[in-house]
Amino acid sequence: MSRNLTHLRDETITIIVDGAPIIAHRGETVAGALLATGRRAWRYTRRGQPRGLFCGIGVCFDCLVTVNGVPNVRACLTPVAEGMVIQTQNETSE
Amino acid sequence: MSEQVELAIVGAGPGGLSAALVAAQAGVQVLLIDHYRQVGGQYFRQPLSSLPLTTAQRQGAALRQQVLEAGAKIYTDTVVWGIFQDRVLGLYSPKGITYVQAQVIILATGAYDRPIAFPGWTLPGVMTTGAVQTLLKEQRLVPGQRVLLTGTGPLQLVLAAELVRAGAKVVAVLEANRFLGRVFRYTDALWGQWGRLGEASRSWLTLQLQRVPYRMGWGIVSVEGARQVERATIAPLDAQGHPIAGREEKLECDTVALGYGFIPFNTLARLLGVQHVWRPELGGEVPIRDAHLQTTVPQVYAVGDCAGIGGARLAQLEGQVAGYATAIHLGYRPTTDLAALNKALEHERRFQKMYHALFTPPPGVYALSHDDTVICRCEEITQGEIRRAIASGAHTTNEVKLLTRAGMGNCQGRMCAHLIARWVAHETGRSLEQVGGLPPRPPLFPVPVADLGRKV
Repeated sequence: MSRNLTHLRDETITIIVDGAPIIAHRGETVAGALLATGRRAWRYTRRGQPRGLFCGIGVCFDCLVTVNGVPNVRACLTPVAEGMVIQTQNETSE
Repeated sequence: MSEQVELAIVGAGPGGLSAALVAAQAGVQVLLIDHYRQVGGQYFRQPLSSLPLTTAQRQGAALRQQVLEAGAKIYTDTVVWGIFQDRVLGLYSPKGITYVQAQVIILATGAYDRPIAFPGWTLPGVMTTGAVQTLLKEQRLVPGQRVLLTGTGPLQLVLAAELVRAGAKVVAVLEANRFLGRVFRYTDALWGQWGRLGEASRSWLTLQLQRVPYRMGWGIVSVEGARQVERATIAPLDAQGHPIAGREEKLECDTVALGYGFIPFNTLARLLGVQHVWRPELGGEVPIRDAHLQTTVPQVYAVGDCAGIGGARLAQLEGQVAGYATAIHLGYRPTTDLAALNKALEHERRFQKMYHALFTPPPGVYALSHDDTVICRCEEITQGEIRRAIASGAHTTNEVKLLTRAGMGNCQGRMCAHLIARWVAHETGRSLEQVGGLPPRPPLFPVPVADLGRKV
């Protein structure tokens, strides 16, 4: 669970994560919104390993999510928007 | 038909913004291009909403305003995925793929955190200090409840204090280098650095008041957890940076921030065929530059961290020098006081020299992984697979990539190439310079194939 400085944060909006509505704040990235609600792992690799935020600046491509139907979007670079639909990615093949 | 500009600057951090300002004020037609949604780079990173600005953020916003007022054009959310013959830059933005032809290019692409690999380093909750700092700066968000910082350098101290002030519990700060005994050799480099010393001592005081352990000569060994970080094993390090066996301790934590220095983002320069030299203290391969910061490829300049790690202040000074030089090259008369600028540069370089002498990660921190540890995070290639490739004859980083797919994933080896190179060097007895890196190939970032095929 992440802590945040609520008194400094912007207006709340609702985004949908794997079908469930969650509260986010305008000015957060998808990664920020997920971390703020206690989510750490939001992608499972081909070998079934959990991944989340790693480099945080768009370089490592570990934090990929599907946003409004578009797969492999970097959660760390993508700002949330009202009604945004996010799906975590399970790429496990075995 | 591609857009024509006199000067294209890639990267709108401290270096790129400073170069743009000097050149645009002299009358040069400037296009400043940045990957992110907002200019500022990592140092001046702006919040995504209307949060109150920090001092650095105010400086960055003011610089951006000046650059715009001087007449420069800024493209944000735009990736430069390749540079081709006659300095044609391939751009990718939400508008799709476009091309720009520039008479002169300044590369100011910055750097990214250099990760180290150890058992458990792919678990969610392990992240770079850059990730933690970006969440704090951009969103005022702390990514965990119990944070362990491990790495080297004063940035860790400053970040730990910021985390504490933001309400996080910092379980410990581990500093790999026992630097205190050596810092007094550098009084001339520290002279005049009152702002920096003040920030370091304020951070130190904050940590002392909160009883945050600051452990010099310690480092991470491994991380455990079912689906995310639950605890870390730490240990004191020997003179080479290897954990001392039998002295390990366990710490409960949910977040581990890695701060083992930075890697210059030099792929565009290497793609252009700029000659590089191996300077480990500057982060790895850095471009050869003349006094005006022009690289070995005419009309291509490089400034700031992408040309050797030196921090935001050095990047700004180098940006001004390159902005001045390119303006002259293009036939304008900039008013910058070059003598004063060079003096400030010299002062800053002396400080950076001290920084590198004190805070270069010791070699042992690159030897924490085991044969079953994943080294290439994208393709999930383990250290054992990499060592087998070396045993079967691979003797460069690129040959390991061809045999194993390590470095072939989405990040294009940005996270693992330096780790593979160390293994190749270790197993073959060759130098890091000899085993080399991964040759960059466009697109440097993933670009939709449908867009690439489209006629422009």
